[in-house]
Amino acid sequence: MQGVLGGFHEIDSAVHAIEDLGKHRFKDITVYTPTPRHEFEEVLARGPSAVRRFTLIFGLAGVTFGYWIAVWISQYWPIVVGGKAIATWVPYTIFGFEVMVLIGGLATVYAMFGLAGMPRLTTTVGYDPRFSAGDFGVWVETTADRADEAMEVLRRHGAREVRSER
Amino acid sequence: MGTLRPSLGWFALLGVAILCMLIGASAWMYQIYEGLGAAGYHPPVMWGVYIVTFVFWVGIGHAGTLISAILYLFRAGFRTSIYRAAEAMTVFAVMTAGLFPILHLGRPWKFFYLIPYPNWRLIWPNPKSPLVWDVFAILTYLTISSTFLYIGLIPDIAALRDKEKNPIRRQIYANMSLGWRNSDREWRHFTRAYLFLAALSTPLVLSVHSVVSFDFAMALTPGWHATIFPPYFVAGAIYSGLGMVFTIIIPIRKYFKLQHYVTLNDLDAAAKMCLFTSLVVGLAYLTEFQVAWMSGNTFEQDYFWNRVFGQWAWAAWIMLICNCVLPLSLFSQQLRRNTTWLWILSLFINLGMWFERFVIVVPSLSHEFEPWQWSTYAPTWVDYSILLGSFGWFFMWFLLFIKQLPVLAIAEIKEVIPPRMKHPFLSESQVLEQHGMAGPIINDPPHSGGLN
Repeated sequence: MQGVLGGFHEIDSAVHAIEDLGKHRFKDITVYTPTPRHEFEEVLARGPSAVRRFTLIFGLAGVTFGYWIAVWISQYWPIVVGGKAIATWVPYTIFGFEVMVLIGGLATVYAMFGLAGMPRLTTTVGYDPRFSAGDFGVWVETTADRADEAMEVLRRHGAREVRSER
Repeated sequence: MGTLRPSLGWFALLGVAILCMLIGASAWMYQIYEGLGAAGYHPPVMWGVYIVTFVFWVGIGHAGTLISAILYLFRAGFRTSIYRAAEAMTVFAVMTAGLFPILHLGRPWKFFYLIPYPNWRLIWPNPKSPLVWDVFAILTYLTISSTFLYIGLIPDIAALRDKEKNPIRRQIYANMSLGWRNSDREWRHFTRAYLFLAALSTPLVLSVHSVVSFDFAMALTPGWHATIFPPYFVAGAIYSGLGMVFTIIIPIRKYFKLQHYVTLNDLDAAAKMCLFTSLVVGLAYLTEFQVAWMSGNTFEQDYFWNRVFGQWAWAAWIMLICNCVLPLSLFSQQLRRNTTWLWILSLFINLGMWFERFVIVVPSLSHEFEPWQWSTYAPTWVDYSILLGSFGWFFMWFLLFIKQLPVLAIAEIKEVIPPRMKHPFLSESQVLEQHGMAGPIINDPPHSGGLN
């Protein structure tokens, strides 16, 4: 991984730098921000997260399994009470609901990890500890021949520090 | 940022908590050796302090998820400063609650029989039993609330990692933050996942204490067999949880000097919620009496008379005074903003809510249908020691948590603060013109509010 990192104190400078980098056809841009900011979401235009699909699919799988396990247990080991159904959906809704939340919730978290590339063993390339304190970082992945151009754009927009990393 | 050196007071409190926990553990060992007779069980009262304390701790665990998940969905600003402590409280309270059904078993080492898994005995739990519903509800709640706590902590642990000088602690924080780098990609998936977890946790909060209430409501015992139990239990759980939030957040606020983060306005808003849930709980008590009175069921009527004016009047009046009378003081804004009074009141709320569960469990069992069945109940030193031990266990985890991990949600507090801006009132094209660059790059209209 090779690229250029620019550190900004101000959010508007970072946003303008990203817009300008886009105009210069730099496509692979990562922003580091201490908190989620809608300004970056708008300028990067990444589209909605796919986490929701995992939540839905595994939630549905969970509710199905929850009902199924309760019904299956009742059929496998029937407790016969006169006039009562062996398996009945009303109390089994508790199993359906709880397993839906359990599987759906865990799938949401694992999907977040998978999609965000976590866990990550190293944070060294393209990261600076100041980005968790209040500064904003713009990492542009680029080849060596275009690094100067990217650095120039970042500096022009007020980057306090620009460095090339690999 | 970073962690402070632990003070002598912290060590003293931790020592007291561990001592209490050891007293409880010793009492449990004695009970395992002697059998359940060591506890104060005496037919027909075969549910006592353990089940009372189980329901009490599950209730405490509810405010955390309420504050963190439900108020997050409603975008209630005052939650930001208190939700981390409340979430941690939830996890430790549910961990504590989960011990009590096991303590209550005659052979606690066989508790796993309640979990449905393929086994050589070819026996499966009864899915129509509320006790099995409890297992699913509590385990799901524990898993989801601890996941919710951990996910929210990841950006804050990463911030600690970036500030930490000690290499060992830094490595521990690096591992715990899973390599979090604050990238836009991480935030994009994080915010969605957090929102969905909040959305899943919200009905979970309501379901868990409803399921706990079914332990009682499914039985025909007088005082228990009532459809009001689920909402009554949920309101009581939120009320008791808020009481415990005050008990722990007010000393933390004072000793860690967090008055600028946990403001009086935040405490005022939480106190209003506490007052509201107190009124709901009071209404539920009155409804129970009214339903018994209008039911024409002499067993129900006799039970409620016995509860308030008979054998258990002392417990019922502690409950009523602590849960319905004293919280009325919160109608006064002056008292809502008086942290000393809030803290004292929170102790009464904790006491009152423990007695609420006592009043539900014990008087019903000791005063069922037939007069020859009527009995009394007296907890033994084993019950009291294990009750004390549960507080020791809870506070031990909580003290360790507040020492090692951020008790305030750093990232969310930062989110509230406006970011630094170079040109807060200019659009991008205006900025570029100021910098002497040739013409606007994009045709964005000028706007007065800046980018924020």
